[in-house]
Amino acid sequence: MLLTSPAALPDPASPPKPILQLVGLRKSFGGFDAVQGIDLDVREGEFLTIVGPSGSGKTTLLRMLAGMDTPSEGNITLHGELINDVPPNRRPTCLVFQSLALFPHKSVGENIAFPLKVKGVDAAARKARALELMRVVRLPESYFDKNVMKCSGGERQRVALARALAYDPEVLFFDEPLSAIDYKLKKTLEKELKDLHRETGKTFIYITHSLEEAMVMSDRIGVMRAGRLVQVGTPEEIYGAPVDRFVCEFVGEVNTFQVKRGPDGAWNGTDVPGTFTLQPPASGAVLDEAFVVVRPEFMRILAPGESADNRLEGVVYNEYSLGSRIQYQVRVGAKVMLVELSRGRALPSSADRRVTLGWDAADAFTLES
Amino acid sequence: MEHRRTKAAIWAWTLFVLVAIYLPIVCGALASFNKSRYFGFPIRTYATEWWQKTLDSIEIGMIVKTSISIALLVTVFSVVIATFGALAFARYEWKGRKLYQKLILLPIFFPQPVLGLAMLLGFNAVGIQTSWMTAVFAHMVWIVPVVTLIIAIQVYGFDASLEEAAYDLGCSRIQVFREVTLPLLWPGIWSGMLFAFLLSWSNFPLSLYTTGADSTIPEWLYAKMVAGYTPMVPALGTMATLGAAALLLAGGLVGILARRRAAA
Amino acid sequence: MADLAIAHPERQAAAESPAQLRQDRLLSVGARCALPVALLLGIGFLAPLVAILGYAFATPRSFDVFSSFTLANFATLFDPANTVWLSFFWSCGLALFTVAILAVVAYPIAYGLNMVFGRWSALISVLFVFPLFVSENVRLYGWVLFYIRNGVLDGSLKWLGLPGGPEVLYTPGITLFGMVYTYLPFMLFPMTLGLALVPRDLVDAARDLGAGRLFIWREIELPLAMPGILIGMLLTFVLAIGATAEAKILGGQSIIVISHDIEIAFTYSQNWPLGSALAVVVTFFIGALTLFALSKLDLDRMLGKR
Repeated sequence: MLLTSPAALPDPASPPKPILQLVGLRKSFGGFDAVQGIDLDVREGEFLTIVGPSGSGKTTLLRMLAGMDTPSEGNITLHGELINDVPPNRRPTCLVFQSLALFPHKSVGENIAFPLKVKGVDAAARKARALELMRVVRLPESYFDKNVMKCSGGERQRVALARALAYDPEVLFFDEPLSAIDYKLKKTLEKELKDLHRETGKTFIYITHSLEEAMVMSDRIGVMRAGRLVQVGTPEEIYGAPVDRFVCEFVGEVNTFQVKRGPDGAWNGTDVPGTFTLQPPASGAVLDEAFVVVRPEFMRILAPGESADNRLEGVVYNEYSLGSRIQYQVRVGAKVMLVELSRGRALPSSADRRVTLGWDAADAFTLES
Repeated sequence: MEHRRTKAAIWAWTLFVLVAIYLPIVCGALASFNKSRYFGFPIRTYATEWWQKTLDSIEIGMIVKTSISIALLVTVFSVVIATFGALAFARYEWKGRKLYQKLILLPIFFPQPVLGLAMLLGFNAVGIQTSWMTAVFAHMVWIVPVVTLIIAIQVYGFDASLEEAAYDLGCSRIQVFREVTLPLLWPGIWSGMLFAFLLSWSNFPLSLYTTGADSTIPEWLYAKMVAGYTPMVPALGTMATLGAAALLLAGGLVGILARRRAAA
Repeated sequence: MADLAIAHPERQAAAESPAQLRQDRLLSVGARCALPVALLLGIGFLAPLVAILGYAFATPRSFDVFSSFTLANFATLFDPANTVWLSFFWSCGLALFTVAILAVVAYPIAYGLNMVFGRWSALISVLFVFPLFVSENVRLYGWVLFYIRNGVLDGSLKWLGLPGGPEVLYTPGITLFGMVYTYLPFMLFPMTLGLALVPRDLVDAARDLGAGRLFIWREIELPLAMPGILIGMLLTFVLAIGATAEAKILGGQSIIVISHDIEIAFTYSQNWPLGSALAVVVTFFIGALTLFALSKLDLDRMLGKR
């Protein structure tokens, strides 16, 4: 049945056992390494999202997991069993394609019942199950005989989802299925997908280039770049403790500048003036040069007399409304710093454009340069 | 692996069919180098004398000239008509389009011997004397639809907003056609030209009824096959085949080079 | 370019003379582009068919087209004493067998061109197209040289000390062989186009949902490739109905096919009206079949609009 008992849900106390394990996974296409050595444990029942810019190898990774490509090197194990060469039709996994891959010559109901027909389920049982799944994905019963090509974008998503669920896979893969959907519908479908994940208790592996999508839905996020997994962690960890400048910039707009350790041991700015108080890098390495990253929402415009661990002098030369927030572009020497303030704390229009920026050491990251 | 075996079987089957397709052409080439007048295999004495005789024959020279003239005229007229025909087929939305798309296929879906006879009757009914020039027209009735389809495939891949952009940037309609439409359709037009020439070059059933007193290469070959075989028949047949192959090769190379230059 | 005119009504109005504007309203751009083709086919295709129709109702053994009207020619054709039905029967039978054999012969190749041959596909396609540029009687005569006594097959076998090749020339069987040979490209290319219409994703998806090879073929590939396969079948059937060269060159006139009958009426018997009546019957048969099949197809999708 679709709804699993609460016992199957991940227990937060003990880390759930891995359902899928990737060890040293590589894939090359005639000299080009699309995926270059990935190690990853996917926990049973989690919603894992792989994000990365286009060309980072995430689709290739997914196709290997689904069995449509075979790895050039490395192992994929499901419940501890090696599945590298198991064809997709023998894997208890199912992929929702970017194109959705709905069969245009079959109705909504026939599409959803397809995996059941493959298994040889009789027509009446197929129909009953398809209707049940249509309820789960919120499709009206009257759509059973509707031509899939006549369905709207959102309806097609739901058909594709129901078809994948009809296969009753242990792991569901998603290849950017929401990329061609308009913003508002996308938000609705994201939440529905999250609900569906909770209700079914199945393992979801989702790939996308949109971090926003990843943040909304995932239990964990893996960031991919040039065929490698750069960082895997909860949305909080990815946002709050990025391992390098790439993850940092991929996650959102940031202010960065370089520092160098002076003879007295103090950190002096290289491309901005001043001396700064920094946290040691998360990696624990001892550095002579470093990158400092401050998110715009942690940057403040200091009132006279207000204190902060670090400060910079600059001139406001642009401001943008982000709705509930306002972003300022502040020129500091040759660099431009971004500051985001909530609307209530906006600078009065008459205020002096010369400002002092400030932030506390705990709100910034120090990264190896 | 099962999959690999299927692939091997498909390769093997395809190569087998290809060999079968070229086998009779090779047989013809063999027969043309037979010294004796009558064919027997294995060939006892090889000779190039029949090739020499074919090249020296004044009659054959005229027939080749007729074939080339027909093919050249067919190519020029067909490509012009078919380019517009393809735009009507694939580019513009207009009222009669669906019907037009189907009607244009009818000459392709029609037995050529019957079409040739029908045209002979038509020419006769209006009192036109058939000659190689009527054959040009007859070939076009069949070749224009084929070339239209070939160019139409190129037109489908062509982004119509490019024409609108050029128009928006101040081009006149003629400039739009010359600067945007034509260069982008060129690969399709080029293959259309090759097809037009070569299909006319090899056509027999239409020529048979519409050339009147003139004769093309396939007609001459057929007449000699029925009565009066000499190894000049396979010799001329092989020459015509080699000529077509050379043209196709040269045309293909020009196409590839043009694309390289465009890409560079 | 009426569609451009929609985007620029003011410029259009300024640039065009009133006469041209009137013409715009009379014929859309598409229609004007189609005009040369339409004229060509009107004069070169429809008019001859009308001429045939005219002759079909003319006095037998005369040339009085459009000046006499009689049904005598059709009466002769449908007279049970006339053996023309035999030719029709042979043509249809041969055409059906040709279609059936070609479907089996061409399917693996079409599949290979789409899925297996990869970068070799273009070359292999050219190799299959090229024979179209060699006159069919040259190619068929090559088979005569292959199968004839003391020809390539017979001579080779004898040279190897074997009893020699089978006597296959001048039989209905070899006629069928020749038709399969000649019309292979006409089945292969529409079929390849049809198979190219099956998106790779759908096959992957079906496989991912547990379907085996045969199931995918029956449920996904075949139905989606059907338009192309049907066009190929129709084209080869129609062309095979009208084929004469195979029966004449390879078959040695051991059987008379329908278009050969038409030719005989026009040449030896000098009975143009009878030949025309026969041609009208054949044309009607082929035309009805073709128009019926084409009316079911969406050519935009077949040829590239995705």
